[in-house]
Amino acid sequence: MKRYALVLLLFLLYGYTYAAERISLSGYIKNETSIRIKDFNNDLTKAKNIVELAGEYKIKDDDLVFFAKVKYWYDAMYDSREEYDSGQHYQGHIQRTDWVRDCYIDYTRNPWFLRLGKQQVAWGQADGIPILDRVNPFDLTEYWLQDFVDMRIPLWMANINYSPKLNSNLQLLIIPDFEQSTAAYPYSPFVFYSTTRFENWRKAQTNVDLNIYYPEKKFENSTFGLQWSDRIGDLNYTLNFLSGYYYSVRNYTIFVSPGNWRVNRSFKRWKMYGTSMNKTFTNPGPLQGITLRGDFAYYDDEPMYWGDPVIASSSGIKRLDNIFWLMGLDKYVVTNWLVSFQYAQYILQNSKPGATTPQKNYFFNPYTYGPQDPLEHIFSLKISTDFMNERLKPELLWSFTDDNQGRLSPKLTYEMKDNLWLTLGIHYFYGNLWDSNGQFRDQSQFYTQVKYTF
Amino acid sequence: MKKIILLMAAMALVSSVAFAAELEYLQVYTPKDGMTADEIMQIEYFVKYTKFARDIELLGKAYLIDKSGAVRERETLRRRITLGRKSDDIAYKDLVMFTGPTQVKGLATLAWTYMNSKRQQNSWLWVPSLKKIRKISAANADDSFMGSDFTVEDILTRRFEDETYTLLREESFKGYLCEFDKKTYFKDAPCFVIESKPTRSPWYYSKRILWVDKNTGGGIYEEMYDPLGRMFKTIFKDFQIYNVNGKEYATQVLLEGRDLRTGHRTVIINSDIKFDQDLSEDLFTEMALMQSRW
Repeated sequence: MKRYALVLLLFLLYGYTYAAERISLSGYIKNETSIRIKDFNNDLTKAKNIVELAGEYKIKDDDLVFFAKVKYWYDAMYDSREEYDSGQHYQGHIQRTDWVRDCYIDYTRNPWFLRLGKQQVAWGQADGIPILDRVNPFDLTEYWLQDFVDMRIPLWMANINYSPKLNSNLQLLIIPDFEQSTAAYPYSPFVFYSTTRFENWRKAQTNVDLNIYYPEKKFENSTFGLQWSDRIGDLNYTLNFLSGYYYSVRNYTIFVSPGNWRVNRSFKRWKMYGTSMNKTFTNPGPLQGITLRGDFAYYDDEPMYWGDPVIASSSGIKRLDNIFWLMGLDKYVVTNWLVSFQYAQYILQNSKPGATTPQKNYFFNPYTYGPQDPLEHIFSLKISTDFMNERLKPELLWSFTDDNQGRLSPKLTYEMKDNLWLTLGIHYFYGNLWDSNGQFRDQSQFYTQVKYTF
Repeated sequence: MKKIILLMAAMALVSSVAFAAELEYLQVYTPKDGMTADEIMQIEYFVKYTKFARDIELLGKAYLIDKSGAVRERETLRRRITLGRKSDDIAYKDLVMFTGPTQVKGLATLAWTYMNSKRQQNSWLWVPSLKKIRKISAANADDSFMGSDFTVEDILTRRFEDETYTLLREESFKGYLCEFDKKTYFKDAPCFVIESKPTRSPWYYSKRILWVDKNTGGGIYEEMYDPLGRMFKTIFKDFQIYNVNGKEYATQVLLEGRDLRTGHRTVIINSDIKFDQDLSEDLFTEMALMQSRW
């Protein structure tokens, strides 16, 4: 009996060792705290505690690998402040299945690469501005302040890649899963002005019957994506196509009787055609060391509200063919100072200055229901460097538009130990209440992040 | 007489250049007595960038040690494929993937180095916090490599053409006492001592004094001097010979860099070194970066 037990023990030990070589685990716990700068009197706006655990299991070397990442967070701020009580249910902790951040199997057999499962896919070269990066919906409950890896809402999909020749790739995405982009709920710091305006209107009515119609679960309702990547000389480029449901819901309001309304929320199909490029000038000359990046997207049938932005009264939804493009320049100057500049234009269909000037005939900024410029100029400038053998990393991000609204975000990251990182920073918003950043001008904040990794 | 001397000098220069051109990829070279400084340094660079091997894969562990003795660590998986391909000018491709600590795990850089020494590298970065690839400008040569005491050019980008060389003497190396493991390396190893001056001026250093091991061709120890002539950094490299398919490959297994101004030290230990595994060039593409899971 002992002999069998010994054999079994050895077998288990061998199995464990065998598995241990194939398993890799890591994770972190993190605290994010922020305080509103305006009326600086302990005005806590976030006390979020996050735990994340990721692991991979190599089923067959690097050819067949299972990977999963789970995450849970709890924001104590919603429990500690009365005025945010109403938002607690939705914003105080992670929602529904959002705790599964990744769960997929990778299969590699040249020239094929398959990633099957819950995942996120990022397209495009733009930094912080999702022009082609529209495969996954976004969690905007903290506006655009989180890392993109945390903002994208992962979807179950088949990500099929075929590389017919070196440096080229054809990617096919089949996404039967659907999630909508999420915005902050009323009574939370980063609630969109459009949401607040809708809530105010809703409260003023006797009854509003709100219905949400999600796309029916059938194959033809899937989102489909296609990307071709290749190089011409030193230029990398992609061609992109995406067809599926627009991730932001659109309201259709029906008058029932005085004070009684029915609001039907549904999702519209749209298409995106796009291209991206990047090139670094490597040859000697005045441009040497400069990296040029660009995205171009043509949004076919993008659903947009139009109406009177003054009273946020929508006259309906129009399907526009819009253009969004961006060019970015990066260069290291003076040893380790990286300067990154981006310029983008968001151009509404057939727009020209004055095209939407008649009152009650504006297209709406989806964040605020304020008027959307027919031609929006967007700029961003990022300067980053490091000191003390990359222990201390300062960074300054300034993003703004031609409407004198924007965000200034300096931050400082300090590596206390290998597994302990501290970040201090400020998000300063300015602009008009109707503007994307301006709506949060009273929400400028000082924040800290403490991250312990294992 | 002057003409003859000039002619001889010109011939020497031509032969040196010719030698440079003759250094074929995937061959093993070691320095010989009687070689010029240029010839020795050609070999030193050849060894440094493992151009003798078709490919190499290794695990690297870097210890960043500050003046107080506090240690930070970085773990990497590194791969290189040597191509020496004239059609697209690519000399070799490097892939560096951070495997630890968790905060930087998944961060990966892909760099293509060109045969034309005037060209900068082409680099891509996989950024885990974005889950996407960013094309990046080549880091400046005088920037720190991974926060270490080595500069980017110390590790990756300095080329033979970036300096001029003078053979100072031949001597037995006095030995290097490594602060990290307290071992003495290369005691009495026969070396060429070469002075290297950067062609770029002004530059962050005015010269390097380099000890090149006669047995391996590796630059085992160097002293770097600032523009005012003060020594500000020392770099030590331990080379070991790997026997691969009957060829002897000299390989860096330990590096120690000391910044004499700040007292900061960096030790890099390379392990699990594997040569000529016939790595596919597909591993050195944007696609390979995109497949990162971390």
